[in-house]
Amino acid sequence: MKRYVPLATALVLAILALGAAPGDVTAQAKDTLTVALPSHAPTLDPHMHFERVGILVNINMYDSLLHRDIKLQFVPSLATSWKALSDTQWEFKIRKGVRFHNGDVLTPEDVKYSFDRVIDQTKKSPQYGNIRAIKEVKVIDAETVHLTTDKPFPLLLERLVFFPIVNKKHVEKVGDQAFGTTSPVGTGPWKFVEWKRDQVIRLEAFDQHWRGKPAFKHLNFRAIPEVATQVAEIKTGGVDIIRNVSADIQPELKTHPVAYISSTPILRVHWIAFDMRVAPFDKKAVRQAANYAIDKQTIIQRLMAGLGQQVATTVQPLAFGFDAEVKPYPFDPKKAKELLAQGGYPNGVDITLHSASVANRPEFEALCQMLTDVGLRTTPRLWDPGPAWNKFSQTEGKGTHGVYGTWGNYSVFDADAVLHPLYHSEPGGWYGKWYARVEGLDKLIDEARSSVDQPKRKRLYTQIQQMIREEAPSTFLWTQYDTLGISKKVQYAARPDEWLWLFDAKPAAR
Amino acid sequence: MLILVARRVVRLLVVLVGVSLVTFAILQVSGDPVALMMPEAPESDRIVLRQAMGFNDPLPVQFARFVGSIARGDFGQSFFHREPALPLVLERMPTTLLLTVLATGLSLAIAVPIGIVSAIRRNSVLDHGATFVVFLGTSMPVFWTGIMLILLFAVQLRWLPVSGWESWAALVLPGITLATFSTPLLLRIVRSSMLEVINLDYVRTARAKGVSEWLVICRHALTNAALPLVTVAGLQFGLSLGGAVITETVFAVPGVGRLIVGAIRQLDFPIVQAGVFLLALIIVLVNFAVDMLYIYLNPQIRVR
Repeated sequence: MKRYVPLATALVLAILALGAAPGDVTAQAKDTLTVALPSHAPTLDPHMHFERVGILVNINMYDSLLHRDIKLQFVPSLATSWKALSDTQWEFKIRKGVRFHNGDVLTPEDVKYSFDRVIDQTKKSPQYGNIRAIKEVKVIDAETVHLTTDKPFPLLLERLVFFPIVNKKHVEKVGDQAFGTTSPVGTGPWKFVEWKRDQVIRLEAFDQHWRGKPAFKHLNFRAIPEVATQVAEIKTGGVDIIRNVSADIQPELKTHPVAYISSTPILRVHWIAFDMRVAPFDKKAVRQAANYAIDKQTIIQRLMAGLGQQVATTVQPLAFGFDAEVKPYPFDPKKAKELLAQGGYPNGVDITLHSASVANRPEFEALCQMLTDVGLRTTPRLWDPGPAWNKFSQTEGKGTHGVYGTWGNYSVFDADAVLHPLYHSEPGGWYGKWYARVEGLDKLIDEARSSVDQPKRKRLYTQIQQMIREEAPSTFLWTQYDTLGISKKVQYAARPDEWLWLFDAKPAAR
Repeated sequence: MLILVARRVVRLLVVLVGVSLVTFAILQVSGDPVALMMPEAPESDRIVLRQAMGFNDPLPVQFARFVGSIARGDFGQSFFHREPALPLVLERMPTTLLLTVLATGLSLAIAVPIGIVSAIRRNSVLDHGATFVVFLGTSMPVFWTGIMLILLFAVQLRWLPVSGWESWAALVLPGITLATFSTPLLLRIVRSSMLEVINLDYVRTARAKGVSEWLVICRHALTNAALPLVTVAGLQFGLSLGGAVITETVFAVPGVGRLIVGAIRQLDFPIVQAGVFLLALIIVLVNFAVDMLYIYLNPQIRVR
């Protein structure tokens, strides 16, 4: 045995050497703020992607014309004021003396250039659809820009909250490729330092930012795909903010000595789109029966840690046009059975529901069981999200008899951003073109989206909400909350638009 | 000898054609690639693109064209990154290889000495203990092992970083995680092949000559016991590359596996094809190398 002593010693030493990393390896400097994201966007060019993870990084490096405060009000950013000159023309006054990270001063030409590069179809910007309505951008003088839309476009200001302004001279000098990878330049609170793909994006405070210096000198966005890993990182101080903390993880972070959680209602509604082309959901009574069959409160309390709010329609409380007078369907299984019988199914009926929302699997299964309990005997099918996107929502429309999903309005706080995609039957649309068949609804949606007269739009949306609650093209479920896990060394609160506007983050007083 | 090598090379080429067939099929079974590329475009635009990309040609023609472009290193543009797919994969390959080599090295470092001791002290406490521990390791799914190691070494003990790839310390946990996956089989192979040779006449002769026990084991017994070990280690290396996909996701390692997982989610087929092809290529090459090593190590094969 003596002979193995050297061998065993070597082995033990090797293991010790591997383990002998310096203590507290993950502790960060006090002036550093690190955020965990599941992945990085393909580019840092704010116009050449439309990925949530990219937007969250971009907004801290670039400014748009408008900003939205935590109460969702529009506030000036690069534009100091704005007004509608007519139904189709808007005037923006550009802030003076704003500097880009490379020292250049912001001019109206930069604003025009930013729009032009997205409108230019040869560049194939994925954001083209957002601002497609803008026909022309004209520089009037050194501080004025006019935007002209092809028709009245009530969502213009919404779209401008994330429409970053880039530096014309710089982008033309370095080219699109370098601008998106190694040399992004904006006017935002932090400037670019380094990007290690799939690892970390490092930013540094921009001293000459027009709002003043941000509280944290260094801002890092780490790409960490696995939730359990993100949670371990925040517990050990490796990151300071993690997003989308699910109900099952919240209790341990709530009581943890180094972290806390911050929740807020967000713009994301859950619903089941009925396939109204075929039986049984071609019958109004059956669609209403499904709405009565679901005990929304129980699901919210038991499966979502109470972080949800039941809704009357898919138009959400946070969106423009919401009418609180339209009330949610109550839970009434008796009524549901009656309506099902009225619809021609006294002995119930077999249906299939689809979902690609893997994160909401428990809710989906509970929903299906509740429907089954009243006689809508449901077979739940859960699909791989990638391919399902095409199969159900966009290209193929194969979601008979219904699809459970969530809709985030593409972060537009307006009823149109949910009504048009979900219920308008125009070709080229989303779910509506396949599944929804509500007479007269298309016309109302069109009318509301082609006016900039807000009181009139509000009236129209009230009418639409009454109509869809009655016709029930969907089962209307609940809106969701988002929960951030935040290190106790940082003071920050979750925003309803799910932005990480880290200029508002401050070191916690200790 | 030369014929033998030539035969192996031919076999290698056949496997590569098979791999490209599978890679080609990935796109075919996924439905209409044009619909994936332009989900919002009207059907008329799609017809044009389908024609332009040659999706209307017979499958053998398309396959031939596909093999041709692979040979030129052209896997097409990534839909998501809007860059050629191959460089994106190549850029991440060293990370994955480093992780896999590290893990394979680690499992050899554990399996060989413990396997030898287990064989010599057969049925001892150490033998049974080692067997128990490694089988515990292999019974755990890789992602779970990874998370448990994070909780122990990074959260509780604070010895190592949770995730990332920025320091050498960050390599330890993913390396161990991946190694727990391949160590058990290697250990069993070392143990059983050692047992086979350890009582053979030539070993006894060596001992009788007065050669030290240490030298007997390392020089005489192990060299002969190493043959199956080399084969299995080569196979395990390939399996570890597959295991790296999960390990990279758990530990936020910027490697090929994670790129592929992301690409599958985004239906980014050029990346999936390039990634799968390259990983398969490496596995094939490693096995080829093992074959060659085998010829070198085993004179019997050379003579035959």
